[in-house]
Amino acid sequence: MLNVDPTQLLKGVLDLAVLAVLRDEDGYGYDILRRLRSAGLEDVGDASVYGTLRRLFNGGLLNSYVVPSDEGPHRKYYALNEAGRAELQRSGKVWHGFASIMEDLLRERGKA
Amino acid sequence: MNLTAQDEIAVYVEGVRQALGGLPDTVRDELLEDLPEHLAEVLAEGGGSLHERLGPPDAYAAELSASAGFVLGQPAEVPGEQSRIAATAARHRARINRVLQRADERAGPALGYSRASEFLTLLRPAWWVLRGYLAAMAVAFMLHDHDTPLGLLPRAGGDDFTAMFLLTLGILGSIWLGRQGRPAARWPRRLLRFGTAFLVIFAVAGFFEVDSAAQRDRYYDQVSYVDPGSPYSDVRDVFVYDGQGKLLVGVQLYDQSGQPIRLGDPNCWDAEGNPVPIANPGYPYCPVLAPFQSAEPAAAPSGEPSTGSSTGPAGDGDKQQPAPATAPTPGG
Repeated sequence: MLNVDPTQLLKGVLDLAVLAVLRDEDGYGYDILRRLRSAGLEDVGDASVYGTLRRLFNGGLLNSYVVPSDEGPHRKYYALNEAGRAELQRSGKVWHGFASIMEDLLRERGKA
Repeated sequence: MNLTAQDEIAVYVEGVRQALGGLPDTVRDELLEDLPEHLAEVLAEGGGSLHERLGPPDAYAAELSASAGFVLGQPAEVPGEQSRIAATAARHRARINRVLQRADERAGPALGYSRASEFLTLLRPAWWVLRGYLAAMAVAFMLHDHDTPLGLLPRAGGDDFTAMFLLTLGILGSIWLGRQGRPAARWPRRLLRFGTAFLVIFAVAGFFEVDSAAQRDRYYDQVSYVDPGSPYSDVRDVFVYDGQGKLLVGVQLYDQSGQPIRLGDPNCWDAEGNPVPIANPGYPYCPVLAPFQSAEPAAAPSGEPSTGSSTGPAGDGDKQQPAPATAPTPGG
């Protein structure tokens, strides 16, 4: 059996996916998870998103701020900073390059 | 969020914490610091327990640490003395948290809430105001000159205007800070905790200081009104001079009811600080230290017991006086 299942693929690109959903709007952990799932990444794990956010934050790609909420707990929002935007652009290019290679490969195999 | 939700989250976080045991403590704390809030969101969504939605805590922990860039099972640090102590501390912290949580639930109904923390949360703005006052007092305490007592207002420069300014600034600042919520970054949060701890210690110390000062004032009042003898409290010795300015020794003092008057301290030291034996019963204890030198300074210490005893108990100092005093009487 081939090692191509969405969970495995996701591991490589979850950082990029998280940066991408934060591009236009800041979000808190569970909100980000919802955005990823509604975008189609239904298998993405809660712990993975949470852990990824922590790592990206520690890596200096995200800023965070706490928003008090009247009902329920305070929410920690994450936002892309300059380094995060730069990383999103750079990694986005890498992904596009990689994806187009895969596209080409698959198309040729399909033709052959 | 209800009572059981809080419990469920606490239990789940604890499970994840245990499963992350291989990680250094600081890393683990950092990974877990927002997890309760995050899990509360998950639960609020509905659709089953945390266990059902997220799987067992150790699986969650594995996924979390992997995505956060850590490898479980092989500690990033060799567990030395330091990290063993940290691990023990973390275990105790978890235990204390559980005890606190139970106390929170038990004490709640007595206050009319399901949890005591719900009631305490309502008091938060009151704490902000108190914190502002304490901060202003702390600043004033550091700025003022310590010559004048500070009182209960932050009179940094000694005047009430500064006091009101500092007080207003402190309280408004504290409320503003409170409305910001918990700082997201680690160092501001630590700073906040440290500051809070400092203010609490400052408040407790200040409270006892003010309290004992209040008691001391009452004590002074009692002394000055009740005890008229206090003006003599610094009297160490008594020197009696007769009409001719001669020092009398061996003097006994009595009050109107025949009670001996005891003043001073029956000890004698000379100018060099050596103890001098007390030659005469009665005052002065220390004739050598007489403040005024009389016509015959040597009379008292040397004693001259032969003439002294013949003259009688009136005192040795009279030894030369009797001659002219008694002479005219028989002669006249």
